[in-house]
Amino acid sequence: MNSNASSAGALSFPAHSTARERGSLFSWVATVDHKRIGVLYLSTAAIFMLVGGIEALLVRLQLAVPRNTLLSPEAFNQLFTMHGTTMIFLVVMPTFVGFANYLVPLMIGARDMAFPRLNAMSYWLFLCGGLLLYFSFLAGGAPAAGWFSYAPLSETPFASTKGVDYWILSLLVLGTGSIVASINLIATILTLRAPGLILRKLPLFVWMNLVNSFLIILALPALNASIIMLLMDRSLGAYFFLPSHGGSAILWQHFFWAFGHPEVYIMALPAFGMISEVLPVFARKPIFGYAFVAASTVAIALLSFGVWAHHMFAVGIGRPLDLFFSIASLLIAIPTGVKIFNWSATLYGGSLRLRTPMLFALAFLVQFTIGGLTGVMFACVPLDWQTTDTYFVVAHFHYVLFGGSFFAILAATYYWFPKMTGRMLSERLGKYVFWLAVLGFNGTFFVQHFLGLMGMPRRVYTYPDLPYWGSLNLISTVGAFILGFSVLLLLWDVGRSLRAGTPAGDNPWQAWTLEWATSSPPPEHNFERVPPVRSRRPLWDLAHPETPDPVISGETSQNHPLLEKNFVGINAFILSEGFFFVMLIAAFVYYNIQQHGGPLAATLLDRSRTALFSAFLFSSSFTLWRAEAALRQKRFAGFNGWWIATIMLGLVFIAGQGSEYLALFQKGVVINSNLFATTFFALTGFHGLHVCIGLLALVIVLGLSWTGDFKTGRTEAVRTVGLYWHFVDMVWVFVFTTVYLLGPSL
Amino acid sequence: MTTKQFLISAWPVHPAALAAAAALAAGYIVHWRASGRSVKGRAGFLVIATALFLLVLDSPLDALADGYLFSAHMLQHLLLQLVVPAFLLWALLPSPSFSSSYSSSKKGEGLRPALQRLGKFLTKSAVTWLAGVGGMWVWHVPALCDAATSYPVMRGIQVLSLLALGALFWLPVIGPRPQQHLPPLAGVLYLFTACVGCTLLGIIITFVPVSVCPVYLHPSGSAQMLALIRNGWGLTPAVDQQIGGLLMWVPACVIYLCGIMGLLARWYAGATEATGPIQPKGEPTTV
Repeated sequence: MNSNASSAGALSFPAHSTARERGSLFSWVATVDHKRIGVLYLSTAAIFMLVGGIEALLVRLQLAVPRNTLLSPEAFNQLFTMHGTTMIFLVVMPTFVGFANYLVPLMIGARDMAFPRLNAMSYWLFLCGGLLLYFSFLAGGAPAAGWFSYAPLSETPFASTKGVDYWILSLLVLGTGSIVASINLIATILTLRAPGLILRKLPLFVWMNLVNSFLIILALPALNASIIMLLMDRSLGAYFFLPSHGGSAILWQHFFWAFGHPEVYIMALPAFGMISEVLPVFARKPIFGYAFVAASTVAIALLSFGVWAHHMFAVGIGRPLDLFFSIASLLIAIPTGVKIFNWSATLYGGSLRLRTPMLFALAFLVQFTIGGLTGVMFACVPLDWQTTDTYFVVAHFHYVLFGGSFFAILAATYYWFPKMTGRMLSERLGKYVFWLAVLGFNGTFFVQHFLGLMGMPRRVYTYPDLPYWGSLNLISTVGAFILGFSVLLLLWDVGRSLRAGTPAGDNPWQAWTLEWATSSPPPEHNFERVPPVRSRRPLWDLAHPETPDPVISGETSQNHPLLEKNFVGINAFILSEGFFFVMLIAAFVYYNIQQHGGPLAATLLDRSRTALFSAFLFSSSFTLWRAEAALRQKRFAGFNGWWIATIMLGLVFIAGQGSEYLALFQKGVVINSNLFATTFFALTGFHGLHVCIGLLALVIVLGLSWTGDFKTGRTEAVRTVGLYWHFVDMVWVFVFTTVYLLGPSL
Repeated sequence: MTTKQFLISAWPVHPAALAAAAALAAGYIVHWRASGRSVKGRAGFLVIATALFLLVLDSPLDALADGYLFSAHMLQHLLLQLVVPAFLLWALLPSPSFSSSYSSSKKGEGLRPALQRLGKFLTKSAVTWLAGVGGMWVWHVPALCDAATSYPVMRGIQVLSLLALGALFWLPVIGPRPQQHLPPLAGVLYLFTACVGCTLLGIIITFVPVSVCPVYLHPSGSAQMLALIRNGWGLTPAVDQQIGGLLMWVPACVIYLCGIMGLLARWYAGATEATGPIQPKGEPTTV
């Protein structure tokens, strides 16, 4: 125990590790420190960024001149698929998670994340997911169906190598890692804030990460469910997205974009948060209209769920859908525009300090607005029809994701690098990096607007020598190499600064949020003492006691039982799982409501028999409730009894489902019999899997109970596992209703 | 028949709706008198609510919903459940004592605890949420949807239930008793989950290949109207149902979103105070 422990009150810190221990490779592998995990995230993402960048440069080289033969069409397809997938899932998302990991606990004055070991797990999931994706190169070829893997192109008949399978597995692992990281962030932000730091005072970066985490746990399940269905198609011969057997390729598009459009904002909201931190500090003014910036984030997040079909205007989804989704998509421009105006108003009248982070933030403002405006153009259906799948789209989303999100990441890198390392990046080199990046980025992508309007389609490996196409493409390629050089220059500067950079001090930018109150880099336990938080800018108040910010009063109520971290975590997880089942149920309903050949629910399912087994499952919720009641009264034997009864009832249900499956198999009904079988086994099978996981958790809790763990009064595990079990029962109510009660009459 | 002729001629008058509007106004005057306070700034909401109510039920919209267009029915449904009750609640005076004075003037002391228990139960947020989302789902069970379109009595029950369910739903958000309001962020969750509930229903209605309200498949009304709708406006039963589903999906959620923005505004508005442990002097300025 360290002497700091006593000064920090209730928190007790583990002994500090020695410098030697901190430097060893093992200490990095075994770390659960949020700062180190953040650094691991950021550095791994940087490596993937180099790889994804090289892929982009190869693509640009191939397109530099007409009728080029540098790359084969197959290699070209693999490269643009891998470039997109890498940049989205292995660079932008993990970089945001890395920054959030490092900064959120510091910005809210916490010791660490809510679940440090879970945090380490989410990083290793990310790394393994990335390696899985790249292993595809060794396993017969990378995926080549584009980052949204449209069916049926991604189905076995058209993608016969293992590439798409690796893509699926990798995205499953990455998606799980993202959900886990988001649950951790939600629990951290809701339960571990410093005294006085009520939610209305949150730094905007933290607020946007909170909203973004909800977006992730709600949107990623849609991706997970749809790629699992695709995997079942490819590996088990199911028919979800195979039109040749009654499946629907359009459903893949709906499912994918139900994830894919929120994903666009998942890659934008943390960037908004970064910009909202950087601009005020370098304009030396508080953010203009904090409440508007914060609330518009919520509006963007909610609207993002209701507009996915605008990616499908060219599919032919019908005029009513076109109309409604066009209007809804235009609506998003309102909260986004509110943000742009707030940022601009923050600059207005400020004493601007044009240091490197500020330069990148200003470039973000301009470039993101351009990308946003072309986005508004795409919301207009006829314009979308003309320009969809052309280079106009490529230009549009690179302005949003590179000119926007990535420039925000660069601003954040220059802004927070001194905090993370204790050393400054070079201001002189930074200016070079900035101007080269701006020149390279706009050189690459601005001309692509014109190429798109001239009709050059995206995802073609070469093109004929039409007027201007060659020269514009050459400009684009030269720009890409300038951009690549600027990134290398930045990485060189990072290496130089780590060795010999100017020491930064605690607060080199005179910023106002809590992370600047501790040393750079922060000690393992983050803070010796968290300063009082009376307003949104606690360090301003400290530095200027004569003119403090308006006090925002209110006490944090984090000792409320509803804000216990395990309770928050499991509820976030249940929310996420709920959406996963919504997707599976939706697929079941969609396919069984229309006519298709082969065995059907009406002739196969024994409703009364399953109802009997369901009764066992439902009654297990009752026994679980009694067990918890017994525990509250400290009747430990009673608790064990009721708990064992719960496990038994769950086992009976699983046995019942197993026998039902066996009977179906004996009748020759297997997953590739027809669409009913495909959707039936997918839905009930995944529920069964959840029951099994729940049973495992119940058994573990029973073990803990036997070793006397709950006699100390720490019974969070019981409540957490109990909630999960109730959830599994609840899902069966819906599954049973859909499959057994409504299914036969659909 | 042209669209213009239709818009001029199709103004059905339902005596029951007029009576209900009159009763509403009378009830409001009683409520206002009983409270003994000024209704300045509130009566306007009642006027809007009543006007909207009559516009929904005694207008071309109702003529279309009366067996011709499912989407017109859906628009009525949303206005009656989400919009009219909200204005009615805004019209009520925010009075913590409203409920108690109301119940103490009631006769039959023995009933009171039971009524209060019922009232307490009905204002639980889980119950009001279920009332709001359940109202959307239940009235789109094909048999009920058909019945409400075919039989005037069922239609009356539907209209009243939508108003009641809608008012219940909004109680924890904009109800007249602030102490019954959910905390703002819980309210955000309340409205967001309601939006999800309606979105799922909207998606189902939009994409199911069967009719949700089979009455609208083969309207029995005038051939002229049908010609106008099918040929003039190009609305086949399938397109009509799609529009209905989309109305439930997108605009309904925009209403919830407006509620969420209102809650956040309320939350942030209560944020700043001029005084605190450090006495500020002058405005915070730039460095």
